[in-house]
Amino acid sequence: MKSRLRALLRLFAVQGTWNYERMLGVGMGYAAEPLLEELKLSDPQRHAEAVVRSAEFFNCNPNLAGLALGAEVRAEYDGDPGPQVARLRTALCSPLGALGDQLFWAGLVPALVGITLAAVMLGAGLWAIVAFLVVYNGIRIWTAVWSLRTGLAAGMNVAAAIGRSWLPRAAGAVAPAAGFGVGLALPLAAASFLRPFPLTAGLGALGLTALGLVAGYVGGARYGALRYALLAVLVTLLVRVVLT
Amino acid sequence: MTLAPVTLIALVGWGMLVGLDLVSVWQAMIARPLVAGGIAGVLVGDVEAGLRVGALIELFALDVLPVGAARYPDYGPPTVGATALAAGGPWELTLGLAGAVSLIGAVLGGLSLQLLRRSNATAIQGAAAALAAGEGSAIRRLQYGGVARDALRSALLTVIVLGIAAGAARISLDRPTAAALTVVVVGIGLAAALGGAIRSAGRGRRRAWLLAGLAVGAVIALAVNL
Repeated sequence: MKSRLRALLRLFAVQGTWNYERMLGVGMGYAAEPLLEELKLSDPQRHAEAVVRSAEFFNCNPNLAGLALGAEVRAEYDGDPGPQVARLRTALCSPLGALGDQLFWAGLVPALVGITLAAVMLGAGLWAIVAFLVVYNGIRIWTAVWSLRTGLAAGMNVAAAIGRSWLPRAAGAVAPAAGFGVGLALPLAAASFLRPFPLTAGLGALGLTALGLVAGYVGGARYGALRYALLAVLVTLLVRVVLT
Repeated sequence: MTLAPVTLIALVGWGMLVGLDLVSVWQAMIARPLVAGGIAGVLVGDVEAGLRVGALIELFALDVLPVGAARYPDYGPPTVGATALAAGGPWELTLGLAGAVSLIGAVLGGLSLQLLRRSNATAIQGAAAALAAGEGSAIRRLQYGGVARDALRSALLTVIVLGIAAGAARISLDRPTAAALTVVVVGIGLAAALGGAIRSAGRGRRRAWLLAGLAVGAVIALAVNL
């Protein structure tokens, strides 16, 4: 139990050595270490091989990394052939990445951030931020515990366990909430930020918004809005210098 | 912009935690600009300024999907630094300049993430033999080294943005220019968030939910006369 807790805590830093070669690989090796300790006593040769495998290339959404970690460790203890364990690890990268990104980065995070932003704009202040952190981290921690437990229980059958679980359904269900949450926040943010200014200034801001949308749609460049904003700030300052 | 040493230390410490949270450790979402700015506002004694800067930069951050190996700006530590610039004045006049400083910092933050990832790869290449031998101590050293480098990156980024903010504070903008900057950055922030939401929504029912959210938000804004 203690080793599971240590592995779980280490999973929260699974991206600590993120890089373009092994991606989460070393972080996975770090998280696997406590779980593989018993293997060291029973089969030192297998343990050494398992440690090497645990730190090789791996990539997925960090919130679901526990599924792969648990499955891999279980397979090592079950004595499944090393190349098969390595293939399992590789095979899990794409589905865990896609599911996790859909559930967290494109779903839960924008949904909760949108609602929090709306609440802040309505005057909820820091309490909205506290509520956001409590709700998000409650879900995140619960998911991490479930992931590790499910992976350890399923071993090589982890793909079937994921397919039967709540995960694919939740990933699909949270998307509308994200759209609604962000949609809810935007008019409130626009009203709150632009209200102190004259109507012409507000209309000018909304004109820039429209122009930005068109520029983003046509250009689609990375950092598009950021570059556009910095350029617009520069132009504003230059115009003011010329006019004054 | 004048900060007491203890406030400066607290801001750099908070910026470090915020930067670590983006990728390396926990991902508790304290790296979201809204959270980073709100707490920075508490630290500088102007919660409203922190929330305003955080909310503004959050609009830009909503445009970013931090998936896989994507390259993206780091908005957290710059939001912390920019809050110090916005504090103490009317937000209508300070928000534009603070937002611009934060966006410059976000670009620098994105570049610093690339450097961090490359330095992590270099460290791993240096430990290739130990990793191939299955040495657990090598994995631990790499992990602690990676986290320490990110902590240093985040703290330095916060210091740099605070430096830029201190320089920007010396620029004497007249009221119309300061207000125009706020309007410009808000307008483009709204474009960033809406553009990101439209792209994420695709063509499915999520787009309908986005439209529903926009409608409900507009009704609430009118109802409470925001």
